[in-house]
Amino acid sequence: MLELFHYPFMQRAFFGGVFLSALLAYLGVFVVMRRMAFFSDGIAHASLAGVAAGVLLSFNPLVTALIASLIFAALIFFLEKKTNLSSDTAIGLIFTSGMALGVLLISLKSGYQPELIGFLFGNILTIQHSDLIIMVALSVAIGGFLIAMRRQITLLALDREMAHLSGINADLFQLLMHMILAVSVVLGIKMLGIILVSALLIIPVSIAKLTSRSFRALVFWSIVVSEIIVLAGLLVSYFLDLPAGATIVLTGTAVFFIVFIFKRAFQT
Amino acid sequence: MDQKIIKVEHLSVHYNGRTILNDLNFSIKKGEIVAVVGPNGSGKTTLIHAILGLIPYRGNILVDQEPVQKVFGRIGYVPQRFVFDRTVPMTVGEFLKLAFKKINQRQLRRVLLEVDMIAHEEASIGTLSGGQLQRVLIARALLSNPTLLLLDEAMSEIDIAGEKSFYDIIKHLNRIHQTTVVMVSHEINMVYKFADQIICLNHDIICYGKPKDAITKEVLEKLYGQEVKFQEHQH
Repeated sequence: MLELFHYPFMQRAFFGGVFLSALLAYLGVFVVMRRMAFFSDGIAHASLAGVAAGVLLSFNPLVTALIASLIFAALIFFLEKKTNLSSDTAIGLIFTSGMALGVLLISLKSGYQPELIGFLFGNILTIQHSDLIIMVALSVAIGGFLIAMRRQITLLALDREMAHLSGINADLFQLLMHMILAVSVVLGIKMLGIILVSALLIIPVSIAKLTSRSFRALVFWSIVVSEIIVLAGLLVSYFLDLPAGATIVLTGTAVFFIVFIFKRAFQT
Repeated sequence: MDQKIIKVEHLSVHYNGRTILNDLNFSIKKGEIVAVVGPNGSGKTTLIHAILGLIPYRGNILVDQEPVQKVFGRIGYVPQRFVFDRTVPMTVGEFLKLAFKKINQRQLRRVLLEVDMIAHEEASIGTLSGGQLQRVLIARALLSNPTLLLLDEAMSEIDIAGEKSFYDIIKHLNRIHQTTVVMVSHEINMVYKFADQIICLNHDIICYGKPKDAITKEVLEKLYGQEVKFQEHQH
């Protein structure tokens, strides 16, 4: 089995998967606490505009998608703060507008665009060397920030008023969390695709919640479970010649139900 | 000379064209227990939020002779309702440690002992009853050794027996630590028993003073309408 890691594309997939699954799992804890799943889904879909712009301009679509996601995240934050729109309405507005812009930009380029299909459904095995550098560098930078600011971020996720009274600039941290989540989601698109990327934010923490009794355990098991899901899914997809993104997600779903059934059986 | 811990001058709050607080002026002495009473929508929570700097307002508010932003560390606050995702596994100890950067186990156990929650240090905050959660929130407020404790209808989710012990804890903290307590309450009977001063609020200040002097039939009618019956306490 180890021989498959001799392939450079498999090494890139492995390293990219290890870093990104840890980052998305850690962020997923706060996404679930703050009920921001729709935000991450919205940003993922809206980033199609950035991907399409990259394809149209013959530039790395990952970079243009990252830039687009930052703009959209800031726009959602602005709409939430400065208008009377509810959060899900603001996200819905940007979600659909970003996708519409993406479709419009794609229509300007004639012919089949394989890169676009790759971004829609993801393919961890097609990660390029330049993509890997971006993924690892940003994962380490964001992960470091999240660890350094874990008290402030956890408090903000728990209760905004309390965060403010603890001397935390709640608006600034909220904007930063929007930006960080947007960047992380776009990084995950290369692995799982626009449609499935939210799964890595939601599934690991859902599994960890079934068994954890403390916050520390929740974070630890979310990351461990995420690594297991991604690596197991990657191996299964390789040996059975299945799409990697979909296999990783379904591996996670299977683990969730196995743990759920075991927990129920053990309790009764 | 009595030291003032809160000084409010010409405080007004307007929201969507409505006046919530109208030119309030009052001060609170150090070491007092002050109750703020009034009907729903009278501006009680808005007053607490203004003191905490959570909302924009007109006028001046000084806490310990300084703007509130400079003294956050010396203020404890227990909200009316603490809404959070109860399914998130987080122990009472972990929750309390979030309050400040450096909290050691000794400080943690001290505040949990004070509110009689030491046995629940490892319990998940999502599994606590309303009364237990309010005690944990008081413990959290006490971690900073506050000179001022603000309670915004903190008893709203506690049953009658729990309410009594809650007030006992507040009284104990006031006596032992000389903590000034400002509490929003709708329980006039409890206010009579525990508060040194009372502020009756209905957008304006209707009354201010010692409960037995300030609460009169006319004041209650102004606050709650004609249907409220007045029965004088015999102490």
